[in-house]
Amino acid sequence: MIQVRALTKRYGPHTAVDGLTFTAPPGAVTGFLGPNGAGKSTTMRMIVGLERPTSGTATVDGVRYADLGAPLHSVGTMLDARSVHPGRSAFRHLMAMARTHGIPRSRVEEVIGLTGLESVAGRRTGTFSLGMGQRLGIAGALLGDPGTLILDEPVNGLDPDGVLWVRHLVKELAAEGRAVLLSSHLVHELALCADRVVVIGKGRLLADAALGDPALGAGSLEDAYLRLTAGSVEYRAGAAGGGAR
Amino acid sequence: MSARGRGATLPRVVAAEWTKLTSLRSTWWAALASVAVSAALTYLSANASSGDPGYDPLGDLTAGLLLTQLGPLVLGVLAGTGEFSTGGFRTTFVAVPRRWPVLAAQAAAVAGFALPVAVASVVAAVLAVLPAASSRDLPVNLTEGSTPQELAGTVLFLTGLSLFGLAVGALVRRAVPALVTVIGLTLVLPVVLTLAVEPTGTTFAEGVTPQEAAVNTITTLLPSGAGGLLVTPSDALTVPGAPDLGAVGGGLVLAAWALVPLVAAALRLRLKDVK
Amino acid sequence: MTSSPVTFPRVLASEAGKMTGVRTLRWTALSCVAVAAGTAFGLSLFARPGGGATGASLAVAGHVLAQLGFLALGVTAGTEEFRTKLAHVTFLAVPRRLPVLAAQAVVTAVLASVTAAVALVASIAVTAARRDALGLPLNLADAETVRMLAGFVLHQTAIALVGLGLGALLRRPAGAFVTAVVGVVVLDQFLAMNPGRFPDTVRAFLPGAGTRLLTGDDRLAALDAASSGPHLEPWAAGLLVAGWATVLLAAAATRLRRGDIASWEK
Repeated sequence: MIQVRALTKRYGPHTAVDGLTFTAPPGAVTGFLGPNGAGKSTTMRMIVGLERPTSGTATVDGVRYADLGAPLHSVGTMLDARSVHPGRSAFRHLMAMARTHGIPRSRVEEVIGLTGLESVAGRRTGTFSLGMGQRLGIAGALLGDPGTLILDEPVNGLDPDGVLWVRHLVKELAAEGRAVLLSSHLVHELALCADRVVVIGKGRLLADAALGDPALGAGSLEDAYLRLTAGSVEYRAGAAGGGAR
Repeated sequence: MSARGRGATLPRVVAAEWTKLTSLRSTWWAALASVAVSAALTYLSANASSGDPGYDPLGDLTAGLLLTQLGPLVLGVLAGTGEFSTGGFRTTFVAVPRRWPVLAAQAAAVAGFALPVAVASVVAAVLAVLPAASSRDLPVNLTEGSTPQELAGTVLFLTGLSLFGLAVGALVRRAVPALVTVIGLTLVLPVVLTLAVEPTGTTFAEGVTPQEAAVNTITTLLPSGAGGLLVTPSDALTVPGAPDLGAVGGGLVLAAWALVPLVAAALRLRLKDVK
Repeated sequence: MTSSPVTFPRVLASEAGKMTGVRTLRWTALSCVAVAAGTAFGLSLFARPGGGATGASLAVAGHVLAQLGFLALGVTAGTEEFRTKLAHVTFLAVPRRLPVLAAQAVVTAVLASVTAAVALVASIAVTAARRDALGLPLNLADAETVRMLAGFVLHQTAIALVGLGLGALLRRPAGAFVTAVVGVVVLDQFLAMNPGRFPDTVRAFLPGAGTRLLTGDDRLAALDAASSGPHLEPWAAGLLVAGWATVLLAAAATRLRRGDIASWEK
């Protein structure tokens, strides 16, 4: 379970995340939504201890990430599918992660199988397509069999089969009682797999509700999203022409 | 034909490379370092020696050159490797599929940027000797004797080094190995070779030994030695045992140091896939 | 609560596995050996009977140029994770961060000392014929010879750690390498060209002073006679480079512990 309380991050005069509070409970897929630059990635990076909050707290199962004894067994994270050494094979990449926790080779082979990478596991990751990189990122997140998962844009670059696979995977992980925090710009996709949504804009919370909650208003999730974020979109194409939509 | 139809002409590729070069922070850091180092070291050196009897302020103009060389070298290497370290080359080669014009354009852009930086470094050195000269009431006349050649030679030397850096960077494609190569050849190898002869302690009366002649020849043919000939007054003593190339010969050797790896980089681009 | 599975030996195994798989590091190590041996061989050709050379000085003659390789080795080890945006994956597994730097230091020290030892053996081998011809044997019972040979390995290892510290501190390969080269090699050369009390004093305390560990007694005496700065004993100079490496690694550790691993960090 992820708990974020009054989380704030400032870079000089710029406030990226502004007093954000939400919870990603166990047994549910929590969709994390917001326009580009809303602070989604910064929030996720603070939850996993890569960036220090200016104020506020973010905990996993009640503990700060940096204080977790076995972080990979508590939280599986995929932030950027390009985070692999281009000269290293997928297998060695996962082995390096596994070694820090004494995770056996058999588990590495297992997640390679789970993500469908068997045929390319020995290849240098520099030759991978975006979709294969995503699968490797997801394999890394699953490695420690964690109770909480944080996935940033996991379907980005996947083929239709892959999108379907991720949809089933996250639902299954939540059904097993895990907490899943899933960010995506594909609102239709989130509507198909999320149980709840957290919508942020300009670093602030805009909505935190179960799908179908009247608080999100009538119509599709996309309608609700566009209505909620109307005032906080920083980069919009054609804005000079009157904000065509 | 309409402007739209001609696509990536060389001037356009040069303009694109110029934009890329000048939008990198490292380019400006290297430029700033070159000018600042030139000014600071020349100033310190002039101040330190201004008390000597028979002090000649113009003798200090190249005092900081050893360290000033680093700026243009680094500038060139980072311009040559930048595209490969960021993956930006994919976008570039999609826009210019013949590829070699990119390299030619990079060379033009780097030379066009390094030349004013070199001029600024030389101006900085001239300004830096003025306080020491005025403290002794010595005139600083830049138009007499070998000084004009020295100043122009320094500008060409520094510009040439930036192209040498670019060429090795484009060939090696990785910043650290490329920097090791250019710094090793330009700054460290000459010192190593000097050390090789130094401890033997023979006197000049015995003439030049074959070993010394060999060392001096190699040193002269290295980028810094060849470039040094551009800076050296033509009436200065020749290096014993080394071929007497003169300023023009030295300039040509330096040009070869830039041209050979640049051609090799062009061949590598042409013949091999870009991943 | 059960004890954490993230133990230092495991982090060490992970870092060792990663670093030995980096092709650039393998090539750099190989280049160090080739450059050291090649330079030693080349310079031995210039040595003449009655010159200042000794058997040991010929064997370690490649050290000046090889230093560049060892610096590059350390800088690459310290920046490779950031360059390839891999750092965050590593720190997700080891959020306390410092064990990663400590493990990198251990792996770099082992890699550099093995590389230096191989480079030394190669240098001794390729200069053997020339040393025989000059009548300059390598006497391992001689304390000075042992100091110079051991000094070669120790100095190059410390130099690699200086590179690692700067790399981990600055996180940018080119910037860290240029800084390292200026601090270790170029500044020393520049000051040597402008002797005086102040330049000689600064020179004595730069990391390059570690080369005194592998410089013969006669040559040290000649250098000291020409210098108006302090004269460090060879072992003190060795401690000085080790001190430089420690300070830089401590600075890198501070940045790592206090700072962010930013998303744009490469």
